[in-house]
Amino acid sequence: MTDTQSELVRIGGVNQETLAERERDLPPSEMRSVLFDVSDLQVAYAGKPALAGVSLDIYRNFVTAFIGPSGCGKSTFIRCFNRMNDLIPSASVHGTVRYHGVDLYGPEVDPVEVRKRIGMVFQKPNPFPKSIYDNIAFGPRVLDMKGNMDELVERALRQAALWDEVKDRLKESALSLSGGQQQRLCIARCLAVEPEVILMDEPASALDPISTTAIEDLMHGLKRDYTIVIVTHNMQQAARVADMTAFFSVKVSDDGKGRTGILVEYDTTSKIFTKPSDKRTEGYVTGRFG
Amino acid sequence: MRITFQQELEELQSLLQEEGQLVLRSLRGALNALRHQDVELAQEVIAFDDEVDREYFAIQEGIQQLLARQTPVAVDLRLVLAMLHVNLHLERAADYCVTIAKLVKLAEALEGDASLVEGLEEMGMRAEEMLIVALESFADRDLERAELLVDLDELIDTANRRLVHDVLALGGKTELREWGLRMILVSRCLERIGDHAVDIGEQTAFLITGEFREFTDASHPDGGSNGRRA
Repeated sequence: MTDTQSELVRIGGVNQETLAERERDLPPSEMRSVLFDVSDLQVAYAGKPALAGVSLDIYRNFVTAFIGPSGCGKSTFIRCFNRMNDLIPSASVHGTVRYHGVDLYGPEVDPVEVRKRIGMVFQKPNPFPKSIYDNIAFGPRVLDMKGNMDELVERALRQAALWDEVKDRLKESALSLSGGQQQRLCIARCLAVEPEVILMDEPASALDPISTTAIEDLMHGLKRDYTIVIVTHNMQQAARVADMTAFFSVKVSDDGKGRTGILVEYDTTSKIFTKPSDKRTEGYVTGRFG
Repeated sequence: MRITFQQELEELQSLLQEEGQLVLRSLRGALNALRHQDVELAQEVIAFDDEVDREYFAIQEGIQQLLARQTPVAVDLRLVLAMLHVNLHLERAADYCVTIAKLVKLAEALEGDASLVEGLEEMGMRAEEMLIVALESFADRDLERAELLVDLDELIDTANRRLVHDVLALGGKTELREWGLRMILVSRCLERIGDHAVDIGEQTAFLITGEFREFTDASHPDGGSNGRRA
C-alpha cells in the first residue's frame, strides 16, 4: 500500500455499495416479481367504454397506488382485480388480467375463490352489525377454515393494529367503534381469510388525519406479507405509502360526449413525484390541471 | 390550478433575481473601490451586505413556508430546491465582494501596480458577466446558456493563475509585495464568485433535466463523470 493509499484509508472511505443501496429504494425491474399482469384491458358500462387500453404489471409485496382525476377509471380498474365488476350487470371486461399467470376472467376461474385470495377494503367502513369478534370470524366460518378461531381473530386484529384497542370488548357491536377503528376492523376482516392481495378503494377518505396515519402505517407494515393496491384521491397519500404509482386520466372523444379513462404513466412513486415523464402527469401532481 | 402557490413561486423567483442584482451592484462597487482606491466606497460595499442578507433571509423564509404549506412536487419541487441553492450561492458571492472591499481598505496606504489592477478589473468584468449569464439562464430555463458558464469560468481561472506570476514579477520592494499578496486574495475572491455562478448554472440544469451533475469536477478533472440521479 502506498503512502497515499494509507492516507485515504485513514480518512475513511464511504462504501460505494452501501451508498448505491441506500439510493435504490426499490428492487430493479428485473428482480421484481409480477403478481398481476394486465394487458390491453377495456371495461365498458352499457357499451360505453369507461377505461381502455390499460396494460401494466403489479408487483408482489409492493404498495401500488392509482391516482387521477374523477372519472379516470381508477376505481373501475381496481375492481377488475377481484372481479367486482361482475356484480354490475351492464359491465363488460375485455383484455386480460393474469394473476400468477392465470387469466382471472377465464371460464374455469371461480369468482368466489378470486375474492378470497384478493380481498377488498372500501371507502366507507362497512362492518356487519355484529360483534367485533363475529365480524372477523365471519369470513373464516363461511370458508370453513380450519384452526383455532380465537387465535385467528386475534392474529387478524393484531395485523390490523387494532387488537390493543378492542381486546377487552370483542363481544361489543362493531358499530360502537370509531370510523377509523371500523376501517381497521374491515382490514382485519379482510386479512382473516388470509388473502394474498388487499385492494383498497379510497380507504382513508372518510377518516380523520390521525386514523388516516394509522391506516397508512398499517400499509407499510402489511406489505411485507401482502401485496397492496390502493386507489386514492389524495396524492400526498400516494406519495407517502406507494412504491409504484399509476396515473390515470380522462380522454374526451372528438365529439365531446365520450369520456374514457386511460393510463398515462406508471412508474416508481419517487419518479412520478420528482420527475414524471409525461407532461399530463406533471400537470396533475403539481396541481396545474386535472 | 393552484393559483396562490404558483404566484408564490413567481414571487420567490423575482426576489432571487432582485438579490442577484444586489450582488452585481456590490461587485461593481467593490471593483470601483479597487480601481480608484476609494476606501469610502469600500466601506459602503461592506455595509451594503446587510441588504443582500435581508433578501437572502426573506427568500429562505419564503421557501420554508412553501415547503411546509404547499408540498411541492415534480418540477415545482425541483424549482424550490434549486432556489434554495441559488439563494445561498448569491449570498456567498456577495460575501466575497465584502472581502474584496476589506482588502481594498487594507491595501489603501500601499503602493500598487496599475497594470495588475487592470487585470483584476478584467477578471471582475468576467465575474459580472458570469453572474448575469447564471441569473438569466436560470430565469429563462436556458440549459445551453447555463453550460456556457464552464467556458467562462475557464477564462477567469486562467487569469487567477496568471496573477500569481504577475505578483511574483513585481519585484522585491516589501510594500509592493504586501500589496501583491492582498491582490492575490482579491483575485481568489473573483475566481470564487465565478465558481458560484457555475454552481447556479448546475442548479438550472437540475431544474430543467431533473438530473444533478457537476459541470466540472475538481476530483476528476479529466472529465470523469460525477453525474448522479436526482
